[in-house]
Amino acid sequence: MNILVLIKQVPDPEALVEIAASGKDLNIEPKFAINLFDEFALEEALRIREKHGGKVKAISLGGAKAIEALRTAIAMGADEAMLIEDESFAGSDGYNTALALSRAIEKETFDIILCGRQAIDADRGEVPQMVAQFLGLPHVGVVVKLDVDDGKAVVESALEGTKEVIEVTLPAIFTAQKGLNEPRVPLITGVMKAMKVQIPKVSVEDLGLTKEMAGPDGSKTRIERYLPRKKRPAVQFIEGEPRQAAAEIVRILADVERVI
Amino acid sequence: MDKVLVFVETKGDEPRKASMEVLCEAARLAESGRFSVEAVCLGVVSDVLKNRLLRCTPKLVRLTDPELAAYSPEGYAHALAGYARQIGARMIMAGATGAGRDFLPRTAVILETGIVSDVTAANWFDDPITFVRPMFGGKVFAEVAFPASPVVVTVRPNSFAMDMPEGINGEYVEVAVGLQAGSIHTRLLRVDDTRKDAVDITEADLIVAGGRGLKAAENFKLIEDLAAVIGATVGATRSVVDAKWRDQADQIGKSGKTVSPKLYIGAGISGAIHHIMGMDSSKVIVAVNRDPNAIIFNYANYGIVGDLFEVLPAMTEEFKKQKERV
Ligand SMILES: Cc1cc2nc3c(=O)[nH]c(=O)nc-3n(C[C@H](O)[C@H](O)[C@H](O)COP(=O)(O)OP(=O)(O)OC[C@H]3O[C@@H](n4cnc5c(N)ncnc54)[C@H](O)[C@@H]3O)c2cc1C
Ligand SMILES: Nc1ncnc2c1ncn2[C@@H]1O[C@H](COP(=O)(O)O)[C@@H](O)[C@H]1O
Repeated sequence: MNILVLIKQVPDPEALVEIAASGKDLNIEPKFAINLFDEFALEEALRIREKHGGKVKAISLGGAKAIEALRTAIAMGADEAMLIEDESFAGSDGYNTALALSRAIEKETFDIILCGRQAIDADRGEVPQMVAQFLGLPHVGVVVKLDVDDGKAVVESALEGTKEVIEVTLPAIFTAQKGLNEPRVPLITGVMKAMKVQIPKVSVEDLGLTKEMAGPDGSKTRIERYLPRKKRPAVQFIEGEPRQAAAEIVRILADVERVI
Repeated sequence: MDKVLVFVETKGDEPRKASMEVLCEAARLAESGRFSVEAVCLGVVSDVLKNRLLRCTPKLVRLTDPELAAYSPEGYAHALAGYARQIGARMIMAGATGAGRDFLPRTAVILETGIVSDVTAANWFDDPITFVRPMFGGKVFAEVAFPASPVVVTVRPNSFAMDMPEGINGEYVEVAVGLQAGSIHTRLLRVDDTRKDAVDITEADLIVAGGRGLKAAENFKLIEDLAAVIGATVGATRSVVDAKWRDQADQIGKSGKTVSPKLYIGAGISGAIHHIMGMDSSKVIVAVNRDPNAIIFNYANYGIVGDLFEVLPAMTEEFKKQKERV
C-alpha cells in the first residue's frame, strides 16, 4: 500500500495575526506547526502501513521553511518526503495550490492520498477535493474512520451531522477529521533520522508550471485586502441572585435583542 | 444579463436553510436587473418541495440523472458543472453546508475556475464584486475578488437574511445532463442517523453550549433542558468531547465546527481562543461562568457571574415563563 500525505505548514493556532498598515498583507508571528488536521492524516497513513505494509510519503507545497513540517513527518514515521518549494504558489489560491500538488502527485505511484479536512490558516477546505478532480479520482471528505481492504476502502464520513458509511474504490483521496485517531508523538530515534535525512525539492517549473500563474494576474481568485474582525461592545454583566439574573437576561434576549 | 445558478440542497420535503438564504439573496440581486436567477436541485424532488421552491425562484431546474439519487461528490460536481456550462452561468452559489463545501471545489475545477469558500458577505455593487470570508478562525477577514469566470462561492449559514421574495411563480424544468456510467466511484452503504431531528449546529439559530464546568456527562441535562425550552441546538467544547461527555459532532471551535447563530449561550466554558474561533461570529453571546475573570467574558455581550448549577435551571424556568406569556 503506497500512501501519500499532503502536509501544509501553517502558523501555530495561537500565533498573533495582524493586518499590515497597507491592508494588503498580514503580519504573522513566526511560530509554525503542521496543520492540525494533517497530523490525523499522517497518523492514519502510518497505521495503514503498519497493517498492510508499504510506504508513506509526505508532500508539501510551501516556502523553504516548510521543510520543517516535512522533517516532523519523517520524525513521526513517514518513509519519504518531498517539498515543492515555491513561495508564490503556496501563497496563491486553492486552485493553484491544488494544480501544483496534482502535477507532483501524477509522477507518483500510490493507492491512497490522505489530507487534512481544512488548513487552519486560510480555512478554505477545498484543496483536496480540487486535487481529486484534477487527477480524476474519487474522494471522501471529513473522515472519522477508514478501513482499507483489497482495492477498496470503507469509510465513515461526518460531512453532515450524521455519519455516512461509504465504500470507495482505490486509488482515492480522503480528508481527515478530528476523531479519526490520536496522532503519535515522535520518538527520539525518529527525530534523529529526520535531522539527517535529505528531503528532495522540486520547483513549479519542474512540474511544467510558471510562477506567473500564481501571481495576482494568473490566479482565479485574488485577495484585495484584509479587514479586522468586528469588535463586540464591552460585556454587560447581569447582576443579582441567580433567579433575578435569569429573569433579567431572558427579558433582554426577548425584548431588547429580540433573538428568541 | 448574467446568469446566477443557486444550488438548492434538499432533505426530504425540506430545502436546507443555508440554501434558502442564498436563494433569498439571489432574489434580491435579481431585482437589481443585473442578474437572472435559476435554482437547481439534484436528484429527487417531491411535489411539496417543488411547489414551495417555485414561490421563491423564477426558474427551478431539476437534474434528473438517476446517479443523483444519492449524494456523491463526483456525480454532483459533474452534474452541476455540466448544467452551468449548458446555460453559460456567470456565477454558481451554494450554502456552505457539508455537502456544498465538499463537492463545489470539484465543480470549479471541471469549469476551470476557482472557488471562494465559506463567505460571510458579498459586496455586489463594487467593481469588481468582492466576497468577504473569515481566515485564521475569524481573527481576520479577507476581501476576495474573482477575476475568473464563472464565479463559484459557498456561503456560510446565517450570513444572508432569509426574507422570502413575494409574488414569484416560477417555471419548473427537468434536465438530464447525461452523467457517464461508471463515473462515480463512491457508494453510500448506510447512514447512521442517530440525530435525525436536531438542526445541524452549523445552521442553528440558537445554541446552548457547555464546557468542563458542567463536571460530568450527566449534568449536560441542564444544557439540554434549557436548549429544549427555546428550541436550541446543543454545543460543546473540545475538553468535553475529548472526555466523551458529548459526541464529536457537537464540538465548536478550531478543531470542531464554526457556528454563527443569532444567540449563543455558553456555560462553564473558559473561552480558550480555540473555542472562540468557532463561535465569535454569533450575533449575541451570553456567558455563564463562576469566575469573573474568565476569558469568555471578553467575547460576550452579556455575562452572568455565578454557579451554572443554579443559573441554568433558573434560566430554563424563566424562558418557560416567557414562552407561556407570548
Ligand atoms: C490545536 C488545538 C485545537 C483546539 N480546538 C478546540 C476546539 O475546536 N474547541 C474547543 O472548545 N477547544 C479547543 N481546544 C481546547 C481549548 O484550548 C480549551 O482547552 C478548551 O476549549 C477548554 O474547554 P472548557 O472551556 O470546557 O474547559 P475549561 O477551560 O476547563 O473551563 C471550564 C470553565 O468552567 C468554569 N466553571 C467551573 N465550574 C463552574 C460552575 N459551577 N459554574 C460556572 N462556571 C464554572 C470555570 O471557571 C472555567 O472557566 C483546542 C486546543 C488546541 C491546542
Ligand atoms: N500547500 C499545501 N501543501 C500540502 N498540502 C496542502 C497544501 N494546501 C492544502 N493542502 C492539503 O489540503 C488540506 C486542506 O487544505 P485547504 O483546502 O487549504 O483548507 C490540508 O489539510 C492539506 O492536507
